[in-house]
Amino acid sequence: MHFQRISMFILRSIAISLMLLTILPSPAQTSKKEAAEKLRLKQLDDSIPLFRGFSVKADVVGLIQKAVSDYGQYEAGLKLNLKDKYFPVIELGLGQTNHQDITTNTSYKTSAPYGKIGVDFNILKNKHDIYRFYVGFRYAFTSFKFDLDHPDVKDPVWGGTAPFSGQNISANYHWGELVAGIDAKIVGPLHLGWSARYKRRIAHNDGTMGNVWYVPGFGKQGGTRLGGTFDVIIDI
Amino acid sequence: MRQVRHHQKSLVAMLFTMLVMASCSSVDCPLNNTVSANFQLEGNVTKLTDVLTISTLLHNGNDSILLNQLQSAQKFSLPMSYGQDEDVLFFQTGTIKDTVWIAKENHPHFVSVDCGVNFFHTVTGIRYTRNALDSIVINQKEITYDALPTHFYVYFKEYRY
Repeated sequence: MHFQRISMFILRSIAISLMLLTILPSPAQTSKKEAAEKLRLKQLDDSIPLFRGFSVKADVVGLIQKAVSDYGQYEAGLKLNLKDKYFPVIELGLGQTNHQDITTNTSYKTSAPYGKIGVDFNILKNKHDIYRFYVGFRYAFTSFKFDLDHPDVKDPVWGGTAPFSGQNISANYHWGELVAGIDAKIVGPLHLGWSARYKRRIAHNDGTMGNVWYVPGFGKQGGTRLGGTFDVIIDI
Repeated sequence: MRQVRHHQKSLVAMLFTMLVMASCSSVDCPLNNTVSANFQLEGNVTKLTDVLTISTLLHNGNDSILLNQLQSAQKFSLPMSYGQDEDVLFFQTGTIKDTVWIAKENHPHFVSVDCGVNFFHTVTGIRYTRNALDSIVINQKEITYDALPTHFYVYFKEYRY
């Protein structure tokens, strides 16, 4: 009786092991599959032309920012598709603000274009999917003029007043952006996507008043270095 | 279809997160918002034995005291006028009086719409009478929020009685 039980246990163990062997692929099988998939994707990559078309895009975040606050930007871009892998991109925008601070009685007004140029890289394994995951960078530049209005300042010691306003003060800004984002095909040529951006100032000329407050395309001084876009993209 | 809906939901969530991130900001007004010229005694007299009183000529033509009877003066700070091209200072040591004229350019200095305003200065020249004073030298011509630099070295005569 005891011998029979042991035999049953051994038989069951062998049966379960065999089943597991058929279900779980061996490491050798996995690497074979991966290699086959790699080969398929490589052949697919090789078979498609370098130039895969281009798309135009418009950012919605800047529009919302402009609608709900006193600064924001209109931004659109053109993106080339090279082998579904590399995406050289040009983005052009118009940044505007007309801000008045009632506490300090200071008004700041500017409206100027800006431009960004850079490349996105699709880092998904399957580059030809309807989803894309990008990382990339931008170099951005704007040259702008701003008006700063403030009532004349009363001198607390000597008395009298001194003017503290400036019109058409010239300034410029160079900055870089690190980009990470996704886009997905929604229907037909329409894609929707978002990108998160980390901005760093490279060089700047603040003009004659010591500082600038809002820089078209870059945003407010003292604001966060993080930004983002929500893009409506149309493949052409 | 389900996948697209899920993706659209995550896009909306990301958009909201980005808007919240983009709305973060801080006010970076300078902690030290006074602009003063720093003077230091140099030469043979680095510490005055007489009390030092400094007054100035106001915008309306009256005098006003800026520094009242400072004892054992070695260094001191004085405000600068916001808009005058030249500040006139009267240095009185004991009974002796000297007049100092500081010529300067005034630069409105803007930090942010959230902060107060102030003026920076560039000293372009200095003249003085030589009763108790021997000379005054411009060491740092830019006068800003930076409180550390000594802008003027003041040399008093050793034997002034």
